[in-house]
Amino acid sequence: MAFRKRNVALSRNDPSLTAEPQSSPTSPSSAAATPQTIPGIRPSPVDGRPTTSTGTPSLDAILAGHAGLPLGNSILFGETGTTDYAGALLRFYAAEGVVQGHKVHVVGFGEGWGRELPGLSDKDESGRKRVNEADKEKMKIAWRYEGLGVFGSRDKGAATNRGSDSEAVFCHAFDLAKRLALPVATAINYIPVSRTGGSLFSAILQNIQRHLESTPPETIHRIVIPSLLSPASYPPISSQPQCVLQFFHGLRALLRRYSTRLTAVVTFPLTLYPRTTGLVRWMEILSDGVFELAPFPYDYRQALSTSAAATKEEERPQGMFAVHKLPVWNEKGGGGAVEGLGEDLAFVLSRRKFTVTKFSLPPVEGDTEAQEAAVHAASGSAMPNKKDLEF
Amino acid sequence: MFSSGAILIFSPRVHLSKKRPKYRQATTQHRCASSGQTTNVKLRVSNLPSTAPATLPAPSHHVPNIFTPTTCTSPLSHFKMTSSARIPSHLAPHIQLPSYPSTTLVTSTLGASANWLIIRFLVSALSSRNTTNEDDSAPPVPLVLVSFLRDWEFWKSEARKAGGLDLERLKREKRFVFVDGLGGMCLGDTQVQNTAQGASSTGRMPGVNGMPSTGLPQRTPQNPTLPARGPPQNTTLPARGPVPNRTIPPRTPQAASPTSPTANTTPTPSPTPPKDTNLLIPTPTLEATRTALETALTSLPTSTRKPLLILDTPSLLLALNPAIIPTALSSTILSLHKHTSHIITHLPADEALVMPSEPAQPLEIANHNFLVKMAHISSRVLSCRVLDTGFAKDVSGVVRITENDIGRSMELKKGGAEEDKRATELLYLVKGDGSVKMFERGAGGDI
Repeated sequence: MAFRKRNVALSRNDPSLTAEPQSSPTSPSSAAATPQTIPGIRPSPVDGRPTTSTGTPSLDAILAGHAGLPLGNSILFGETGTTDYAGALLRFYAAEGVVQGHKVHVVGFGEGWGRELPGLSDKDESGRKRVNEADKEKMKIAWRYEGLGVFGSRDKGAATNRGSDSEAVFCHAFDLAKRLALPVATAINYIPVSRTGGSLFSAILQNIQRHLESTPPETIHRIVIPSLLSPASYPPISSQPQCVLQFFHGLRALLRRYSTRLTAVVTFPLTLYPRTTGLVRWMEILSDGVFELAPFPYDYRQALSTSAAATKEEERPQGMFAVHKLPVWNEKGGGGAVEGLGEDLAFVLSRRKFTVTKFSLPPVEGDTEAQEAAVHAASGSAMPNKKDLEF
Repeated sequence: MFSSGAILIFSPRVHLSKKRPKYRQATTQHRCASSGQTTNVKLRVSNLPSTAPATLPAPSHHVPNIFTPTTCTSPLSHFKMTSSARIPSHLAPHIQLPSYPSTTLVTSTLGASANWLIIRFLVSALSSRNTTNEDDSAPPVPLVLVSFLRDWEFWKSEARKAGGLDLERLKREKRFVFVDGLGGMCLGDTQVQNTAQGASSTGRMPGVNGMPSTGLPQRTPQNPTLPARGPPQNTTLPARGPVPNRTIPPRTPQAASPTSPTANTTPTPSPTPPKDTNLLIPTPTLEATRTALETALTSLPTSTRKPLLILDTPSLLLALNPAIIPTALSSTILSLHKHTSHIITHLPADEALVMPSEPAQPLEIANHNFLVKMAHISSRVLSCRVLDTGFAKDVSGVVRITENDIGRSMELKKGGAEEDKRATELLYLVKGDGSVKMFERGAGGDI
């Protein structure tokens, strides 16, 4: 009974997005102990530091057990090739911030970028809600541990949402085919990049700093920097070390100073600035998390075959996802068992989500009739038979 | 067929329920060196992750693996340990500083940071005087830590978690000085202006990039020392001398305020005590750096011994400001030897920074030159890197320790065992609680 009363009061206090006044059962222990007044923030299960979601559940899951991006940290996504998979990650990150009511700063792009943010996936949500009701009825004890069991596992996106839905959603599900209706025009702060002068980066930093200081301290800010140093939006002088590295250093200083209010995600074209150069390495040293996306070259034959997917239901990965540095974890020296690191990771971008999964090639030698049948079903006679290739 | 399927289905659930008991039991094994007996200590920690602040010197996790025979009787009561327990025995001889003035180089790579090693240097230098009272004739060695990449909070919390050091207290005791090369270096003007504005500032500065800020009228001089861009230029020279002028006031409002409305942010160390004593390097120039360092070094009481200087990533200056040439930076560092006993330099030594790319960037060449020069003048090089063969669950990386012959010949030959080994390689594992395990290649996880 005591539990129940306390939680009734809790759910009233908390400005969660679910409008229905539900008397939730016992919340996950973290939220029960400390009322979660800032939406989209939860303490890390590792050391309790506040984290926020990147908008991509499987990316949250590989951030060294923190189950989110710790506040005061930044992530640098490098992408090779001409694709924009990292841009999708960035949009999920920005959209999550908008939905949670965080202040989002977009550097270098105008309102067109903000209009392309993915909308909330309502279908997923309703389905989740129904499951949640069933859970409440059936397994109250198991439900209690479900929120805890989530932290360690990798594919936990659905579970995260379900476990914390009654409290506040930590990470929403988005639909790339929809468009997010921005609640107010002030949700996103577009910071232009001036194409003249050498102080373009310090102007950006000062702009963000002004916003940080003029907003109440509960406001969480997210800095979104799409394709930094891309010649399309940045002048050539910006790739000088004294410009961009000072910017990264200042950004790091800003993140550390507002270490409970600010996160940043940067994407970066690796084809123009290879990782083997000192400039990029310094940028990576100055960032807290470094990930690299290497999309597979598109091949129509590969698109038809099922070479990289074990079964037909599983979606074929679109590229490799390399982890070079993890926030907080690498700062301390690294080590220990961290899921995902050191394994071959691949990413799959579908309409609803960006998934980082283990990359595994199917057993080629293991004769699977089902696979061959799938190949035939998919391609008809276009694909050569396996017997034709053997000699 | 069916039974195996059933096992496969049900095993995760069983595993889950096993994995999530109501109370988390932390079992720590203590091996007593004298008696050889093994005691199991079970701690019951209430399973509330958020209520356990990360900044507390976690009682259960910090029980070390080695115990001196005196501490063996009651392991848990000995919260505060000897420094030898914090430092792995394999590493201890390598972070002992020689008796003559020396330079030590610590290198790291992107995946294998050497911060844990710097912490071990801090621990061995600062906590040795607390525990060993044998030679109290010699005054303690003060320490100056200059960090260009990491903030004061990081070092404070890491030193407390991993080494049990209270750096705030040591700072008050004038045994430790932190020079912040991150906070104000590239944020530039706003930082200094905020400092000039002091506590009365609302944080809204007259738009420096032409963007007027909303709200209060800007032109009203809230503070007599408000000349908009004035303070850095006007008061530069006197401001660098006294320590308290270079403060970081913007931290205190931001850190104090979020803790009040929500308890969520309490796990982050709430820096309520004023950290006004941190020196700041205001600009990425050699002169500012030298001035700040000399101020820090001379601010220590002269009665003690010459301080130990730890420089964290000074090569960042070369990257931030191409006008600085490597020889100028290295000679600046060397010139600080007149104030210091030892200098420990931490530099990133990634391949991308050491091996110039095909059209060599000036940045790479400068880094390369500086690193090679520092390696030559150092009497010992400790370099951290990741495992060459990929990742392992129980190994964080490899540290290679190279002794320089010149330094060795100056040292009076005192040790005999490792004379023939100029270079050793040790594997290390940094655990989640900050403790470090070190072992040789091929030897299992032992200490």
